[in-house]
Amino acid sequence: MSQNLPDRCLSVFSWACALLLTTGVCIIIGFLILNGWRSLNWDLIFADTRPWDAILLKRQVFGGLFPAMAGTFMLIILSVGIALPLGLCAGIYLAEYASSSARLVFGFMVDLLAGIPSIVVGLFGFSITIFLHHFYNSRIYPCLLVSAFSLAFLVLPYIIKTTQNALERIPLLTRLTAPGLGATKLQNIVLVLLPLALSDIVSGVVLAIGRCAEDTAVIMLTGVVAAAGVPKSIFASFEALPFFIYYTASEYTDPSELAKGYGAALILLLICSLLFIFAHLLKALIDRRAGIMA
Amino acid sequence: MQTSVKIKIRDLYFYYRTRTILENISIDIHENTITSITGPSGQGKSSFLTVLNRLCHNMDGARVHGQVSIDFGNGFENIFKKEYPLPELRKRVGMVFQTPNPLPMSIYKNVAFPLKLAGYKSQDGIRKKVKKSLEHAFLWDEVKNRLTDDARLLSGGQQQRLCLARSLVLEPQVLLLDEPTSSLDETSVQVIEELLALLKNRCTIIMVSHYVDQVKRIADQQFVLRNRKLNKV
Repeated sequence: MSQNLPDRCLSVFSWACALLLTTGVCIIIGFLILNGWRSLNWDLIFADTRPWDAILLKRQVFGGLFPAMAGTFMLIILSVGIALPLGLCAGIYLAEYASSSARLVFGFMVDLLAGIPSIVVGLFGFSITIFLHHFYNSRIYPCLLVSAFSLAFLVLPYIIKTTQNALERIPLLTRLTAPGLGATKLQNIVLVLLPLALSDIVSGVVLAIGRCAEDTAVIMLTGVVAAAGVPKSIFASFEALPFFIYYTASEYTDPSELAKGYGAALILLLICSLLFIFAHLLKALIDRRAGIMA
Repeated sequence: MQTSVKIKIRDLYFYYRTRTILENISIDIHENTITSITGPSGQGKSSFLTVLNRLCHNMDGARVHGQVSIDFGNGFENIFKKEYPLPELRKRVGMVFQTPNPLPMSIYKNVAFPLKLAGYKSQDGIRKKVKKSLEHAFLWDEVKNRLTDDARLLSGGQQQRLCLARSLVLEPQVLLLDEPTSSLDETSVQVIEELLALLKNRCTIIMVSHYVDQVKRIADQQFVLRNRKLNKV
C-alpha cells in the first residue's frame, strides 16, 4: 500500500459520507413510494370527476388533488415569471455595470435576501396585503398574486447570483472580442455574453422552480387555503401540493387520508423531477446549440 | 519612402491598478507602414495596443493619461476625448489578439458579426464582404465549403486567419496585431507574413512580436518596449 494512514482515513470517510447521503435519499424516496403508491391512481387526482372535464375546467374537482396541482403549477409560472426578468436584470447589472463598491453593497444585500427565512418573507407579504387592504382597497385579500410575489422575492437571490456568476466566469478575452469589433456594451451583453451564460442561468432557474414548488411557509400566510378549487383568477385564493401535504399530515383522521397525503408527496416529487429533467434537457440543448448561435 | 503621419502619440502614460505600465511615450506612426513593438514579456506591449483602440477602457483597473490622435481622413482627432464614440473608433482601428478568439458561432457568422453590429442589413452585401475578407486572409479556399461549421473546429492557424478576416471585414484604417503568429506553425506564419505585407497598402499596421527575424523581415519601423519606455531601434 503506497497510501499512508491519513490518506486512507480520508478516503474511507469520504466514501462513508457519500454512502450515507445516497442511502438517506433512497430511504426517503422508498418510504414515500412504499406508503403512497397504493393511493396513486386517477381517483387521487380527479376523484369522481372525469379527467377531461376537470382539465378543461368544465367541472370542479372535489376531494381530488387536481386543484392543488393546478395551483402549484400556476404559482410556479407566476413567481418565476416575476422573478426571472428582475433577477436577470439585477444579475446583469451586478456583473457588467456596477462599480466595485456598488457590487459590494448590492452583493451583500442579495446575500442578505437569500438568508431571510421563508416564513419571514410570508409574514412580510401578509403584512403588505393587510396594509393595502386597510389603506388602499378593502377588496385586496391574500391571493395567488400575493403568494407569487412573495415567492418571487424568495427565489430572486438564486437567479441574481447564478446570472452574475455565469457572466463573471466568461474569460476576459471572450469578453473583449465583440467590443474590439465595434460592439456597444449592450450588443456585447445581448449577442455574446448572455448566450454564453445561458446554460448556467438555467441551473439557477431550476433551483428557483424547485423552491417555488416546495415552499409552504410563504404561501400559508399569503393565500393558500385547503379547499378553493382551481383558482379562477390571480386574485383568488388557491390550493397547493405542499400545503395539502402539510394539513393532511397534521389533521388526518383515518389511514386512507394519510395515504392520500403520501400520494400527494409522491406527485410533488414527480413534478419536481420532471421539471429537473426538462431543465437538464434544455441545458444540454443550449450547450449543443452554443456551437452555432442564431 | 516617407508617408504622412497617421497616429500621433504624446506623453502617454498607462496605469494598471497601482502599477505604471507605460511612461511618457511620444511617437509618430506613419501611414501604410508596419510598425513593430518588441521587448521582454510582461512589459505592457499588449497594453500599448489596447490603448490605441481604447479597449483598455473595457478592463477594470486600467487608466490612461496623455494624448493619442489619429488621422482618419478628417485631420487629427484625439481618441481620448470623452465623447469619442467607441464603436466607431473600433471599426476604424481593428485588433487581432494573440490567442485566436473565434466567437461560438459558425465561420460565416463570425466574419459577418462586425457587419451585424454595425447595422448592415443587406444579406447580399454581407455575403460579398465576408467572401472578400476571407479571400484577403487566404482562408476562403479552405472554408468555402464549410461556412456553417462551428468556427472553433478550425485549426489554430485557420482560427487566427479567421480572426484577421473578421477584423478586415469593416476595412479598418489601422490594424493592431498582438503576436499574430506566436501559436502557429511555419507555413501559417509565412502565409500571415505575406498577408501583412499586402495589407500594408490598405492600412497602417502595428504589430507586437517576439520574433526578431520576423520583425526584420517585414517591419518598416521598430520599437522596443523596456522599463516602461518605448525606444526606436
